[in-house]
Amino acid sequence: MNGEALPCSLPQRLWQLLLHRWIWRMAWRDTRRERQRLAVFAGSIVVGVAALVTIHALRASLETGVTLQGRELLGSDLQLGARQPLDRPALARILAGEVAEVAYETSFSSMLRFPAAGGARLVQVRSSSGAYPFYGGVEVEPAGSWSAMGANEPVILLETALLEQFGAAVGDRVLLGEAELRISGEVTKPAPRIGRFAGFAPGAYINQAALEASQLLQRTSLSQYYAHLRLREGADANTLAERLQRAFPEMGFRFETPASRREQLGGILDRFEQFLSLIALFSLVLGAIGVASAMQAQLRRRRQSIAILRCIGAPRQAAFAIYLVQASVLGLIGSVVGAVLAVWLHVGIVACFHDALPLALSLWPEWVVVLRTTLVGLMASIGFAWIPLQQVRQITPLVALRSTNSAGRGGSWRQTAPVVVFLLAMLTLLAVLGSASLLRGLLLALGLILIFLILSLLAGGLIRLARKLAQGPVNYLTRQGLSNLFRPNNQTLLFVVSLGLGIFLLTLTLLLRTLLLDQVAVAESGAGPNIFLVDVQPDQVEGMQALLAAQSLPALESAPMVTMRLSGINGVAVSELQRQDAVPGWILRREFRSTYRDTLNRTEVAVAGSWPPQEWSADEPIPLSLEAGLAKDLNVGLGDRLRIDVQGLPLETEIVHLREVDWSQFNLNFFMLFPGGVLEEAPGFHVVTTRIPASISSGALQAAVAEHFQNVSVIDLTSILDTVQNLMGRIAQAVQVLALFTVAAGCCILLGVFLNGREQRRHEAVLLRTLGATRQQLRTIFTIEFGALGLLAALAGGGLAVLAYWPLAVFVFSLQPVFPLVPLIVLLGAACLLSVLMGSWLSRGITRASPLTLLRNG
Amino acid sequence: MLSVRGVSQIYLSGGQPLQVLKDIHFELEAGARCAIVGPSGSGKTTLLGLCAGLDQPSAGVVQLAGYDLAALSEDELAQLRSRQVGFVFQSFQLLPSLTALENVMVPLELQGKPGARAEAEARLADVGLAARMQHYPNQLSGGEQQRVALARAFVHRPKILFADEPTGNLDAETSEPIERMLFELNESFGTALVLVTHEPELANRVGRVVQMRGGRIERDTRL
Repeated sequence: MNGEALPCSLPQRLWQLLLHRWIWRMAWRDTRRERQRLAVFAGSIVVGVAALVTIHALRASLETGVTLQGRELLGSDLQLGARQPLDRPALARILAGEVAEVAYETSFSSMLRFPAAGGARLVQVRSSSGAYPFYGGVEVEPAGSWSAMGANEPVILLETALLEQFGAAVGDRVLLGEAELRISGEVTKPAPRIGRFAGFAPGAYINQAALEASQLLQRTSLSQYYAHLRLREGADANTLAERLQRAFPEMGFRFETPASRREQLGGILDRFEQFLSLIALFSLVLGAIGVASAMQAQLRRRRQSIAILRCIGAPRQAAFAIYLVQASVLGLIGSVVGAVLAVWLHVGIVACFHDALPLALSLWPEWVVVLRTTLVGLMASIGFAWIPLQQVRQITPLVALRSTNSAGRGGSWRQTAPVVVFLLAMLTLLAVLGSASLLRGLLLALGLILIFLILSLLAGGLIRLARKLAQGPVNYLTRQGLSNLFRPNNQTLLFVVSLGLGIFLLTLTLLLRTLLLDQVAVAESGAGPNIFLVDVQPDQVEGMQALLAAQSLPALESAPMVTMRLSGINGVAVSELQRQDAVPGWILRREFRSTYRDTLNRTEVAVAGSWPPQEWSADEPIPLSLEAGLAKDLNVGLGDRLRIDVQGLPLETEIVHLREVDWSQFNLNFFMLFPGGVLEEAPGFHVVTTRIPASISSGALQAAVAEHFQNVSVIDLTSILDTVQNLMGRIAQAVQVLALFTVAAGCCILLGVFLNGREQRRHEAVLLRTLGATRQQLRTIFTIEFGALGLLAALAGGGLAVLAYWPLAVFVFSLQPVFPLVPLIVLLGAACLLSVLMGSWLSRGITRASPLTLLRNG
Repeated sequence: MLSVRGVSQIYLSGGQPLQVLKDIHFELEAGARCAIVGPSGSGKTTLLGLCAGLDQPSAGVVQLAGYDLAALSEDELAQLRSRQVGFVFQSFQLLPSLTALENVMVPLELQGKPGARAEAEARLADVGLAARMQHYPNQLSGGEQQRVALARAFVHRPKILFADEPTGNLDAETSEPIERMLFELNESFGTALVLVTHEPELANRVGRVVQMRGGRIERDTRL
């Protein structure tokens, strides 16, 4: 017999409860005694969201920069380049009607001498006519000096870096080939880069009069000729490029459009962005794990309170709503703080690195991206809090009567599964948002899950090992310290996985950085050449060797070089192969520099066939030796035929020999090797190499070469390798700084884990003190506990890094793995130290607690 | 007010069924009092939990304030407790993050009643804690905490109060005023009282003693 229907005071539905004032009031009241712990909860979200928003905002800024500045990066709508002078009248006839403006440019590398400083340096000489660049502009000092380029007198403007290197200033005298020129201006913002040494050689801008006065064009074989086109409204760059290609098939034009340059730049940024996305995901997941673990610990402490509330009549959903409101508000606060932090990080990063970036980025991030990513971060943090929150519904009011009554088990699978699916979907969405394609996003998400799984398995195994060790013949303090890792409700696995993940990323970065830098160092320190003298004409080779001898330098190698392109494989034209997508595009498009000789170098090993080849008759194809890697990419072997275009002259060749080449040595290495008697008459040049001891500067040699062989370029490998090393160092540094996000997120979890175990540790300390343990003994026990936690995390993270590093080194970088023991040990030791310091700091005062507290508080 | 008919309770312990209560019959009129006594493990607290709707029996019927508890959902049971039932626990069970005043206000706030603060202040004054309303539980002594618990138990004028060893954690000197206040409030509000205790003296003051042993009612004595 039931009475009348029960009147309802609090709403029953969750969404109604979430809007109820009392729920919000209780959520606020509940935070009072827990502010420190809840700060850790919010801290996890701050780090996770900050990492996510910073990285996504930077990525968006880069993409927008590339998209918006595509034309500025190229300076025109279409650029065509050739190795022969352009037939300007013929070009003009074809371009008429579609092109609004044309600027022609001649460019080559040459030595520029600074008589006052007594030095010389390889520069990229650029002589252009017309108003190029059409987009973006050039900035010069003094203002207006650029307009002097149209003058009839010789004019030269130099980039700032060049002036700084030789302490030169506007008005100083320089020597370029036969010309003696006065510096008319300083180029502070150069025109868009062109040419192959562009990355290493600063630009020297000259006008037509200076070009003629230098007489270099007649002597160099490495000049490039460009036409920069500004198209009329409606004209299509690609269509025009196709027409030009058809009209001048023998010219071998190379075309660049803003889109292709964007792609080129995008490709470089893409890998970096992939890595950043991975770090962002790691940080967010760690932050979210921190949230889940903080919520789990909060609920464990609140079991009694929840049961009391249920006893005195709170509906089952009310307690759930209280803690959901709490988690959501903290999530919101954490996300907003994280987003604000991210905005300032974006500003800071752009401000610090704007010189090093290839394009101008907006200082402030895109607000839509900030908002979108913050929301995703917020949802992820609430989602991760939702999983432990499920157990609130399982806490019965009986817990208030019997604290031993079972409660606090996780929610049922039916309740938890949708949350887990939602979270996986969100992480996948994030991975996809941060990737160039859906497939790569999915692979990234899968990789992330795999890393977590392997790390968890590794950590689990190590923890079991530690447990076995604790049961072995060890002294009491060690046994107690190790046993503490296995307290009821311990978070050892969580600790090891979270700190381990940060250590994994840092260790892997350290290993890869060392591997690559070592490679550069090996190349630098070996007996191979470090100076390349390029564009030595056949009649200059002997003179060059004599000059080296006069400087007491060895002429290590001298090789002729002839440029050529692939035009067909086994009778199939390159254009057809491009359509079939059967061969990597870069091979079909690239210009090969080949040599001819009948012997192999010490960096070459025969794989198949024999070299030199046997005699061949005029109606037979020319025998060719091909680099084995290229043969594999082309899917060809002995007996296959390659049609090669040697500057307009087609040659039919047959592969009779395959070689492996050690590219890590900076010797003169070639993909294609011809026998003597084929290419001698083809237009080409020689490259002579030498080695200057590390203690001596190449300045004297550069000056001597510039004086006697003005067409010859001196490429100083040491300075290039320095630049590469510097660049790699900066990239590695940036990556490590970003990897610190994961360490920061891991630290939030550590804080939570230590704070959660503090009460238990205090209770144990007091009990042990009551039983007669000294403070020193207690400190030793805790140090062993924290040190063991750090060591387990270091072993798990470091172990996984080594597991990942091995295949990366061997299969991706094709290098022998190197293990820098000292930095590795320092890194792993630092992890243990961090754990001990943090644990000791958060447990301070515990060893001083009086045994009386045990009697008073039970 | 409370009717327990043929109630049995069986738990699974280590995979084996364990009978904690066997065929309990028991009635309590409105405003009446009864003490449940018995040795540890006799089923006193289990019976209290079933009577208060904190758990459901394996067999039998429990009716509280006219409601068959088995027919009510979890949330209806919570509603019933919030309006008709008060609790006093051995270990006080105050919410640690709430002040004494806020702890007492909670039952009224749950019902959405206006004037919760004034009513809670009056109840705290009744138990002599007018000066300690803004203190948190850990800033109060054991006796003071139990007095806050008493104020909370009576603040919404429940029809029945369940007290589980209310002085079990207190010494004799502190227990005496708690017991006195418990009975005073019980009388002044006309609340029925179910009291679980180990102390024969306290049980005798209640007027009716239900003696339990081995999950059964051994004796039901009206003094």
